[in-house]
Amino acid sequence: MKELENNIIYADAQKCLGCHSCELACAVAHGGKGGIIDSVINKLPLFSRTKVVVSDGVMMPMQCRQCEDAPCAKVCPTGACRQENDQVQIVEENCVGCKLCVMVCPFGVITVKRDAFKDDGCSTNQGVALKCDLCTTWRMESGKQEPACVEACPTKAIKLINLHEYRMALVQARAKELAQSQKHLNLTLRKL
Amino acid sequence: MSLRIKTSDPAVKALCKVADKEDIATVFDRYQMQLPQCGFGSLGLCCRICYKGPCRVDPFGEGPQLGICGADRHTIVARNVTRMMAAGAAAHSEHGRHIALAMQKVGKGLLPAYRIRDEDKLYRIAELLDIDTLGKEMLEVAHDVATKTLEDFQNQDHHKGCHWISATLPDKRVDLLSRLGALPHNIDATVSQIMARTHIGCDAEPKNVFLGGIRGALADFNGMSLATELSDVMFGTPSPVVTEANIGVIDKDAVNISVNGHNPLLSEVICDIARDMNDIAKGAGAEKGINIVGICCTGNEVMMRHGVPLATNYLSQEMAILTGALDAMVVDVQCIMPSLPQIGNCFHTEVITTMDENKMQGARHISFHEENAVETAREVIQCAINAYTRRDPNKVNIPNIKQTAVVGFSSEAIITALSKLDAVDPLKPLVDNIVNGNIQGVALFAGCNSTQTVQDESYQIIARTLAANNVLLLATGCGAGAFAKHGLMNQQATEQYAGDSLKAVLTQIGEAAGLNGPLPLVLHMGSCVDNSRAVTLATALANRLGVDLCDLPVVASAPEAMSEKAIAIASWGVAIGLPTHLGTIPQVTGSDVVTELMQEGAKDLFGGYFLVETDPKIAGNKLVEVIKGKRQGLGI
Repeated sequence: MKELENNIIYADAQKCLGCHSCELACAVAHGGKGGIIDSVINKLPLFSRTKVVVSDGVMMPMQCRQCEDAPCAKVCPTGACRQENDQVQIVEENCVGCKLCVMVCPFGVITVKRDAFKDDGCSTNQGVALKCDLCTTWRMESGKQEPACVEACPTKAIKLINLHEYRMALVQARAKELAQSQKHLNLTLRKL
Repeated sequence: MSLRIKTSDPAVKALCKVADKEDIATVFDRYQMQLPQCGFGSLGLCCRICYKGPCRVDPFGEGPQLGICGADRHTIVARNVTRMMAAGAAAHSEHGRHIALAMQKVGKGLLPAYRIRDEDKLYRIAELLDIDTLGKEMLEVAHDVATKTLEDFQNQDHHKGCHWISATLPDKRVDLLSRLGALPHNIDATVSQIMARTHIGCDAEPKNVFLGGIRGALADFNGMSLATELSDVMFGTPSPVVTEANIGVIDKDAVNISVNGHNPLLSEVICDIARDMNDIAKGAGAEKGINIVGICCTGNEVMMRHGVPLATNYLSQEMAILTGALDAMVVDVQCIMPSLPQIGNCFHTEVITTMDENKMQGARHISFHEENAVETAREVIQCAINAYTRRDPNKVNIPNIKQTAVVGFSSEAIITALSKLDAVDPLKPLVDNIVNGNIQGVALFAGCNSTQTVQDESYQIIARTLAANNVLLLATGCGAGAFAKHGLMNQQATEQYAGDSLKAVLTQIGEAAGLNGPLPLVLHMGSCVDNSRAVTLATALANRLGVDLCDLPVVASAPEAMSEKAIAIASWGVAIGLPTHLGTIPQVTGSDVVTELMQEGAKDLFGGYFLVETDPKIAGNKLVEVIKGKRQGLGI
């Protein structure tokens, strides 16, 4: 049984400049051939699974949060969307593009699209649900350590976060502060 | 895997180790820090020409397809690349204006530091520009040539093309450019017009914008033609000279001064004055006196004319300081890295700026004007000698890496060499050998260094491919620097890499010209502003054969094009009819309209076109095929 939460992409809104580099890198990492320039020249139908949004002057890329009780997985009628291998996965072969996941996703980060050239003679749009897959396939094929958006971010605003480590760092930081206050509390208590 | 120090130059590799040890960041480290570079910028899809922006068009079609003003990807890309052409034209032409103004003053006897060194060329130019010389003193002719040249910055008649471009291209080509509205009438006005038409809310039709840019690129050609030719008149037309290239030319026993940049006005005087001040340097303890070395295109200028050894080319200019033995780096204009003063501070090296409109933070500025050229040169050299006395011998580390280079092949020098074979008709041996196929064609290597590629590597790979296929090779700018540093500008290279028939021709000419062996594999034609020299040669060939430039088996290649000047050069190369290879991807591919316009579109209009290929092996083969196609077209 898995003990830890799924890893997530985390974007620091303080550092995001809204350059959209993560979007381009994401698009190219999912079906791009020969980098961005060749992909554009060859007019590959690519698009990003992350989206830079701005609200009240705060800017950051949004993408799948790999929910632990994912509504998208719950509603998926074909089982294409499910918790698997430490993330919420969509098996594109099993997806019929019904968009139920799009409707229940609290973050609006699932799109139903075809991100490759359509097969000739097919009578459907061939769209499937697409969302952040933490670049699992791309990383495996390219040997890269970090997801494409993380690598592309010029201000290092985007990180792949292990929640356990993140939490431990928070706990440590707060513990250090509390430790300081404990010393003072002790002093004060002794005086009383 | 990815190479951190992106160079093929062994001297650079050696000195980057010093940089690592001393914790000094170089151009290669700064490149790594910039990664990944912005995709919008790489595609030319970022528009920053008004304060509503920046606007970006999503290349994948999901996001915005129009800028806030309504400009689409094609307009944005066309405006961006066109503005770069204008900047290139401005740079070369400002250099040209500086030379022309100086020559005008020389004609009035106002600049004692300068004189007319090539009177024959002065009179040839006077004839070319239709200037009456009868009964005039030589200096008066110089004044008149400079004055008529300056009309190319002043003419307001849109129907009258600039003097220089009209006089130096084949008539057929001038007519074509005139018909297409691409013939510039005034360099300054053309640059201004580009800035005006690409202002927010003006020219938005991508093809029209791009053609306006081509006009600017041709203004660049005009500016560099006059800069080169008038420089030859004042400083001497280059002729073959044997020298050396790469960092090993820096001498630990001398006061080493590098001249870096592009404009020869100061460096020429520095070379003169250094001879006078040699004893002062010796008195300061430098037993070999003063050693001037060149960097980038100022380096090429003094190398071509005086055989001054070349320390390095653009991308590795910082390396000269890392030797710990460079006492001063004197810079003028263009392609000077703003990082130099900081690196100079890590050593004893004086980094000295000299042009009032080209200063750098942290550098010493010694203001140069032609009127005080001698005093400025003395002050600069004295600074270097003073710095020499502060040199730390423990920090000296000069990799003993250098190559012999035979340079100085102006078009005149090539014609002179050919005249040894046929004094009456010097072009005949060249024409005959091209027609009979001993020489398959001619390739001009031009352009810069770029961190987008491995420094100097593509030049060498493409050149070896072309040479093996019996293509005559010319080079300018940092391309020429690359060939000189890597030993492809000497006779051994011809023996090693030239195809049999090319080798035979180069040997025949070289022997006749008294070189005791073949001409070098790649002929050094000068700095990047000297690309017009190759056009002079190509025009002579075209006129001789009664064809236009686009018919000739002549190609250009810029494997490491980087600067706005290079974009202008490549663009006029295309506009005068040359298939022009780029080894770095131009920032235009976000627009299929502009991309197509630069390839098939340009081919239809001009006969020349951009051939983009980043793989040097494939590029070499493609250029060979292009040359074969041109030969078929001529029926040879």
